[in-house]
Amino acid sequence: MKPENQLQNEQELPPFVKTWRQFYRLLISWLVFLIFIFYAFTKYFE
Amino acid sequence: MSAIDWAVLVLTLVVIVVYGIYKSRGEQNIHGYLLGNQSLPWYHVCLSVMATQASAITFLSAPGLAYSSGMSFVQFYFGLPLAMIVLCITFVPIFHRLKVYTAYEYLEQRFDLKTRALTAFLFLVQRGLSTGITIYAPSIILSTILNINTTYTTLFIGSLVVFYTVYGGTKAVSYTQMLQMSIIFCGLFAAGAMVVHLLPANIGFVKAISIAGKMGRTNAIDLTFDPNNRYTLWTGLLGGFFLQLSYFGTDQSQVGRYLSGASVSQSRLGLLMNGLVKIPMQFLILLIGVLVFTFYQYNKPPVFFNSFELNKLEKSKYNPELNKIKAEYSLIHKEKEIAVNKMNAALDKDDAGLVDDQRKVLQEADQKEKSIKKQVTDLMVKNDKHANTDDNNYIFLSFVTQYLPRGLIGLLIAIIFLASMGSTASALNSLASTTVIDIYKRLIKKDASDHEYLQVSRLATVFWGIVCIVMALYASKIGNLLEAVNILGSYIYGTILGVFLVAFYVKSVNGRAVFFGAVLTEIVVTLLGWNEVVAYLWLNVIGCMLVIFFSLIIQAVIKHKKSA
Repeated sequence: MKPENQLQNEQELPPFVKTWRQFYRLLISWLVFLIFIFYAFTKYFE
Repeated sequence: MSAIDWAVLVLTLVVIVVYGIYKSRGEQNIHGYLLGNQSLPWYHVCLSVMATQASAITFLSAPGLAYSSGMSFVQFYFGLPLAMIVLCITFVPIFHRLKVYTAYEYLEQRFDLKTRALTAFLFLVQRGLSTGITIYAPSIILSTILNINTTYTTLFIGSLVVFYTVYGGTKAVSYTQMLQMSIIFCGLFAAGAMVVHLLPANIGFVKAISIAGKMGRTNAIDLTFDPNNRYTLWTGLLGGFFLQLSYFGTDQSQVGRYLSGASVSQSRLGLLMNGLVKIPMQFLILLIGVLVFTFYQYNKPPVFFNSFELNKLEKSKYNPELNKIKAEYSLIHKEKEIAVNKMNAALDKDDAGLVDDQRKVLQEADQKEKSIKKQVTDLMVKNDKHANTDDNNYIFLSFVTQYLPRGLIGLLIAIIFLASMGSTASALNSLASTTVIDIYKRLIKKDASDHEYLQVSRLATVFWGIVCIVMALYASKIGNLLEAVNILGSYIYGTILGVFLVAFYVKSVNGRAVFFGAVLTEIVVTLLGWNEVVAYLWLNVIGCMLVIFFSLIIQAVIKHKKSA
């Protein structure tokens, strides 16, 4: 039998993506994207 | 301020307070008062955690910081999305599943009563003292700008917040914060648009950033490993991660916000959206500071932005010396203006050599300006050793009050009030929650009625409101109290985070081991801090690591004794 919180997590899905794990990946990708964009910004205007 | 600005300021504040009270009207119980009946959608959670974190100083210091040293401060927030993910995986589902009111309640279920009481006590001390500063810091700035005594601005902000927090509890806090953040976003956007509008006709948005960039103000990413550099990609990712995790995971003023979410899913989504939005928002606030910097290349800035301190010096015996410095300052600014115009022409022609030449001239002029500022602050200290020589917080405000149109000035002053009110309201609400749930309900009266707990919660909010206002009033008498409170926070935050990390991730450690581990850590951290062995910010990391280390050692000793 699955733990209660695991069951609850599976029932409540995030918007736009299929699982919470995908949402976390999306957030990490967003962070990497921002770092890349800010780096390009720094280099372009310096 | 003009009558229109006063009208905008008063109207904004009245609308916010009335809206908060209206949305939280109706009969309440303790669950509704402390957790908003756990009915709030994700966007409430998101805006509420943002408003709690963003104090008035956030909106004043950040543009000033970009003006004087560039955009590297944005890296401070890089650890935040990672911390949000850890919170969503571990903290949020556990807190929701156990149906706790406060984070410390969980520690009794995991360890024992004494560990819960210790962490709750540490939180009350730290948050109780620091909230006074949250009210005091913007009060002193507003009193300078509005020319009103600090006591009145402190009493005004403090009593307004206490009023709606006592009346409406968490719901009032959350609804007012949502409106506050919306107004703050609109106000900052308008301010940014106005800066671009006020630039010379031949200087557009991109050109303005280019000019600031050539003078080292667009340094958003720093990849160096210099340990003396406070803001780099690495300190942001690592240090920022620990700092944000301890703040969002163990500080009840934040835990209370996301526990008010309608479900695990809504709380998670609110936190993750905060992780998505926070960095771009901070970047845009810093960008306003960069645009203000370019604006002041074409318009002579005051030699010192804090007009209160400057007026004091002008009225002193040091005025003749100050006038000489001002004359020199005017000459340097003229030099700078010529060089900026040449730089602009070089950028138009795309002449890299000429751009480089002008960059050198501008950087030299920038250094000269800094040395002149140093001469002014030295004179200020000579005149009054308690003079406030840091004018970062006044750069943006000085620009707003001097150059922005009527109405917008009132709105931006209102933003400072709102930001201060938002973080203070969350703090008071969390102090009341911890006092009632972890102290009164657990240690004093276990079987009181729901109505009694509600009344005690209201009384606790009033009590902490008074404590914080008194702290804020007292802060004006002691110059270095702000730093003292920050140091006190560093003594405590690391220990609390360490206790929570042991609770979540080291299942073999029991309550006795973690309690004595935390007590030992507090002694070591206090000694380290007291003797200034390390910079106080490092105490957060050391405290966290020591709790884990001591707990494991003590647990091993206990196990060894039992088996022997």
